[in-house]
Amino acid sequence: MATAAAAAAGVVGHGHPPTTTGLEHRKIAIWAFIGSECMLFTSLISTYLAYKGRSVTGPFPHEVCNPPQCATTMQPILDIPVTSVSTFVLLMSSLAMVMGLAAVQNKDKPGWAGTGWWARIQESSRIWIMMTAILGATFLGFQAYEFTSFVHEGLTIRKNLFGSSFFTLTGFHGAHVTVGVLWLLTLYAIDVRRGLGPKDALLVDIAALYWHFVDVVWIAIFTLVYLIK
Amino acid sequence: MPADSRLRRLAQAALTAALIGLAGCVQNPNSVFHSRTDFNRDVTSLFTIIIVMGTAVFIFTEILLIYAIWRFRAKPGAPRPEQVHGNTKLEILWTVLPAVVLAVIAVPTVTTIFKTQARATSDAVQIEVIGHQWWWEFRYPQSGVTTANEVYMPLGKTIDFKLNTVDVIHSFWIPALGGKRDAVYTPNSGWLKYRQSNLWFTADSTTEDVFNGFCAEYCGTSHANMRFRAMVVSQASFDSWIAQQQKPAVYSAPAPTPPPAPGRRAAAAAPATAAPATASFIAFDRAKMPAHAVPRTPIPASIHYDTTLVGDPVRGATLTASSSCIACHTIRGVPTMQAKVGPDLTHVGSRLTIGGGLFPNDAKHLASWIKNSGAMKPGSFMTTLGVGQYDPKSKLTLSFGLTDQQIADIVAYLQALK
Amino acid sequence: MATAATAPAHVHSGYHEPTGVWSWLTTVDHKRIGALYLYTALAWFAVGGLEAVMIRIQLQGPNGRFISADTYNQLFTMHGTTMVFLVIMPMSAAFFNLLIPLQIGARDVAFPRLNAFSYWVYLFGSLFMNASWLIGAAPDGGWFGYTPLTTYQYSSGLNIDFWLLGLQILGVSSLAAAFNFITTIINMRAPGMNLMRMPVFTWMAFVVQFLLVLAFPVITIALVFLQFDRFFGTQFYQAAAGADPLLWQHLFWIFGHPEVYILILPAFGLVSEVLPTFSRKPLFGYAVMVYSAILIAFLGFGVWAHHMFAVGMGPVADTLFALTTMLIGIPTGVKIFNWIFTMWGGDIRFTTPMKFAIALVGLFTIGGISGVMHASPPADLQQTDTYFIVAHFHYVLFGGSMMGLWAGVYYYYPKLTGKMMSEKLGSWHFWLTFIAMNLTFMPMHWSGLLGMPRRTWVYDAGQGLEIWNLVSSLGAYLQAVAVILGFWNMWRSRKAGAVAGANPWGAGTLEWSTPSPPPEYNYAVIPTVTSRYPMWDGGMQATESSPKSAKELGIPMPNPTIKPLFVALFMTLMLASMLLMHKGMPTAAVAGIITFAVLMTLSLYSWLLTPLEDEH
Repeated sequence: MATAAAAAAGVVGHGHPPTTTGLEHRKIAIWAFIGSECMLFTSLISTYLAYKGRSVTGPFPHEVCNPPQCATTMQPILDIPVTSVSTFVLLMSSLAMVMGLAAVQNKDKPGWAGTGWWARIQESSRIWIMMTAILGATFLGFQAYEFTSFVHEGLTIRKNLFGSSFFTLTGFHGAHVTVGVLWLLTLYAIDVRRGLGPKDALLVDIAALYWHFVDVVWIAIFTLVYLIK
Repeated sequence: MPADSRLRRLAQAALTAALIGLAGCVQNPNSVFHSRTDFNRDVTSLFTIIIVMGTAVFIFTEILLIYAIWRFRAKPGAPRPEQVHGNTKLEILWTVLPAVVLAVIAVPTVTTIFKTQARATSDAVQIEVIGHQWWWEFRYPQSGVTTANEVYMPLGKTIDFKLNTVDVIHSFWIPALGGKRDAVYTPNSGWLKYRQSNLWFTADSTTEDVFNGFCAEYCGTSHANMRFRAMVVSQASFDSWIAQQQKPAVYSAPAPTPPPAPGRRAAAAAPATAAPATASFIAFDRAKMPAHAVPRTPIPASIHYDTTLVGDPVRGATLTASSSCIACHTIRGVPTMQAKVGPDLTHVGSRLTIGGGLFPNDAKHLASWIKNSGAMKPGSFMTTLGVGQYDPKSKLTLSFGLTDQQIADIVAYLQALK
Repeated sequence: MATAATAPAHVHSGYHEPTGVWSWLTTVDHKRIGALYLYTALAWFAVGGLEAVMIRIQLQGPNGRFISADTYNQLFTMHGTTMVFLVIMPMSAAFFNLLIPLQIGARDVAFPRLNAFSYWVYLFGSLFMNASWLIGAAPDGGWFGYTPLTTYQYSSGLNIDFWLLGLQILGVSSLAAAFNFITTIINMRAPGMNLMRMPVFTWMAFVVQFLLVLAFPVITIALVFLQFDRFFGTQFYQAAAGADPLLWQHLFWIFGHPEVYILILPAFGLVSEVLPTFSRKPLFGYAVMVYSAILIAFLGFGVWAHHMFAVGMGPVADTLFALTTMLIGIPTGVKIFNWIFTMWGGDIRFTTPMKFAIALVGLFTIGGISGVMHASPPADLQQTDTYFIVAHFHYVLFGGSMMGLWAGVYYYYPKLTGKMMSEKLGSWHFWLTFIAMNLTFMPMHWSGLLGMPRRTWVYDAGQGLEIWNLVSSLGAYLQAVAVILGFWNMWRSRKAGAVAGANPWGAGTLEWSTPSPPPEYNYAVIPTVTSRYPMWDGGMQATESSPKSAKELGIPMPNPTIKPLFVALFMTLMLASMLLMHKGMPTAAVAGIITFAVLMTLSLYSWLLTPLEDEH
């Protein structure tokens, strides 16, 4: 938005008047959107927790199940070590996102990060945006692997309450990550075509807010679904 | 609480005056203000407080409103009114006033909640109410009796209803006695047992009477047609009724015409003992049934049945025990009739209504029901049986099925199952 | 919609709106989108009203056979769903669109194209849901669609699929609009328009947007579970698999109770504009009105289970929800008294909008009092799911919301069109509405307490219900006449109405300083606000005409665009494709979903990568 132009023109006529808060519209809207998304994931997580331990048949998330309750012996299905790795990957993607935003915001100050090869990497928004997307995609890869192995172990979305609520919750999160990856790739394409600079910082900023939110949601899911028995 | 009881007396007086039309039993048989049970008395006295408070608030507010718009109507040439922006004292006043009114309602509300939802006394008559699309099953676990759509209860005894359903959510409601309580699926084991899906009351201030019951939670096509009757009878009659219901199917055959060969087998299967002594109570006296309990649903014009046909119960027994009836119904004592899908028919002849309380239980209605229950009651899951009938489910006219004479035989048999 | 197709002529304004169907399909002007919302919602009001009339014909006498049981069930389901989601909410949205930018001194909403998108999603979603009538499979699970009745096992037709997919689509519309209005109100207020100077309608709208943002995700998830159960065999609502049969009810009412305030607060806002104008006095207790709305919204999330007293939650939960529900009565009562004292000492002119506004105060009081009656669980057991409840919520939604919305229509019609509505017809419209409304719904209190369950296709003779139902039915027919009069008044006033000036009612708030109708840019000069009623306090003068176009004034305006319409269309078609799965065509369904998802994404990219306005 042309805040500078509006300031120059005063409140009369030309350009847009300044915003009330001084913040960009999109920044406020993304916060409202995130508030709404919080309720979405709260509903999903609450349902998962309400149904925890209510499944009539296995597989179960943590419990060991032996005959005669189960036809065959079952091991806990949630693989905490592997998911810890994917959680770490997603956390790192948030870090990359922070670096990417900093690179875009400081594009007009060459050498802001100092000198040397690391500084040049720090100044490259393309590297960081792409890395965020790649880490996000890696997380999705882990999720695909997890889903496939669960299905092999007999847990499908139709199998029991655990399957229904687990796949729906993590699937919704995965869909959010997918949208985020597409968003980041779009930003990357824009960066390649015309370069992202400080004037585009908002574009990256709102993508980053979304990305961090999705990351935080995963922390909640990882804690409530995987770690707490 | 003297203030409370004074208020209650005042409230009851006001209620009697204001709601005289509602409480009249003849015109308004299903009024919730009938004080026939402890439950309804508790609810009515609570409701009376709320109505009195509500009416006072209503009158006060509306008079204030009407006075304001009349008093301050525009007058020609009036100067601009004083620009008042508010008045803190006034605003505090009308924040506190509703709070006081609500507190007056809240206190008896909470005491009534805990009173009506306490455990029923241990000597209560247990009745399991099971909702089906679209009829009611009643089980008496203490005596092993199962019946449908008509629930008998002894006068002056606490009845503890336990609600359950085999399909969707229903709601059990006898407005004149008490309720309602939803029938939500509650398995015998597992975490869902937490639900308090019961309701109890004592019909302690009524004579022997029949009350109308309804399903109050929308449950699909024939939600409106899911009714039942509640019979309040003396303890002696109730005991006699239970004893009769405990017996397997009994019917008194009139002088039998020579039945066809297969009929004999079935007749043997259903022992044709003599009807019990008429002195003992087996069902509410049809002649004494109050007018409001007699169903008046019309028979659809598409169903014709010749009421002059005379059925043979022995032939009817054979037909019933070997036809598609066996897929859904139980007649205890008949080996082929053990299915639990539809209502238990062991003593269907003693019931006053059929079809979920929609029709009186007479030959004409019973025959029409057997012919084409789907036309009699939309959505009915019972098979269309009459030959030449249009089946609403398959949208076909049946080229096979029971003839009117066969239906008359079945009706004769079912009516004999007292 | 025919009314919408031709823009009203305004001779006195130098500014000329573009005309023609294409200009309406591509418009991003909040006032024109508001008009589209208004006319579409009124069209659905006619449909929902027709459904109500058919219900009343069926119930006019005992054992009615006017329509079949299945048709009846579809009619009451669609009557409720239509009136809540396709009439009252979008009519409120019409006023949000029309008024929020004008009241806060802005030239448009924060995201004009998102605004257009919200409308098109609403239109397509409503058309989709009603398309079910064409194949005889209209939704039939009741407007709150309780499971397990609505699961595939008990409702295997497309009826429920239309309902749940339709609600998902409409939810997108409401959420998109809510983000937009929140941003607009926070970020686009004119200088001096601090929060406590905002007109009360904008305040109510602001609160409603937060309710939408927080409540809609919950029903979205409830519907997703139902959708997955029906289409993919999940077990969220399958009691046999150990699922809680009440999960749906909890999720639905956590949404559903805030929804009640989503429906009523906009009407409260409109009335809070009308009453001061025609009393020539500022709103009494402005700050308390604002805080009470916030309190209502906050408490509204903590009372949901009062819809579930009959399920048997136990005495402790019943007590808790009874007390929170009674608590919410306090801020509501405060509003009633503040309105009465707004008129107290005033100089009251009984114009049509004022009559409707006063009627809201009087009738909502009745709905509020009967609401307290079923806040008490033991009393509620005898009332819930009976016609007493039907009476209650019609006093709230018709006596409250619709009366307020009609007040808004009469009050703001001059601002929207530049013409006055006929006061004579308006008076007839009001009195017929008022009488018919009470004739229809007052007897329902009696039929409920006399033992008539709601949602029943028939009732038996000899139960003492005949007279009350007959009166209700006659009231409903009279109501139909009233609605036709109201529509006729709106139609003919476009041409025959007297020319309205900028401020025909002598109102005090900012929007009345603009010409009627306002030019596309609303304010040639962004005003500086010094008080709550700048038109009364001499802070603003009315501008009778704006002879110059935005271009001449150098005001940047967003370009018209068809892209939001396409995104909305493809999104609707994508979800509609799911229906094919239940028609035994899973491959076609998947193909449809993918095709339309791709088309939707492409149109979305095309929209987002096009600048909003020309470069300067």
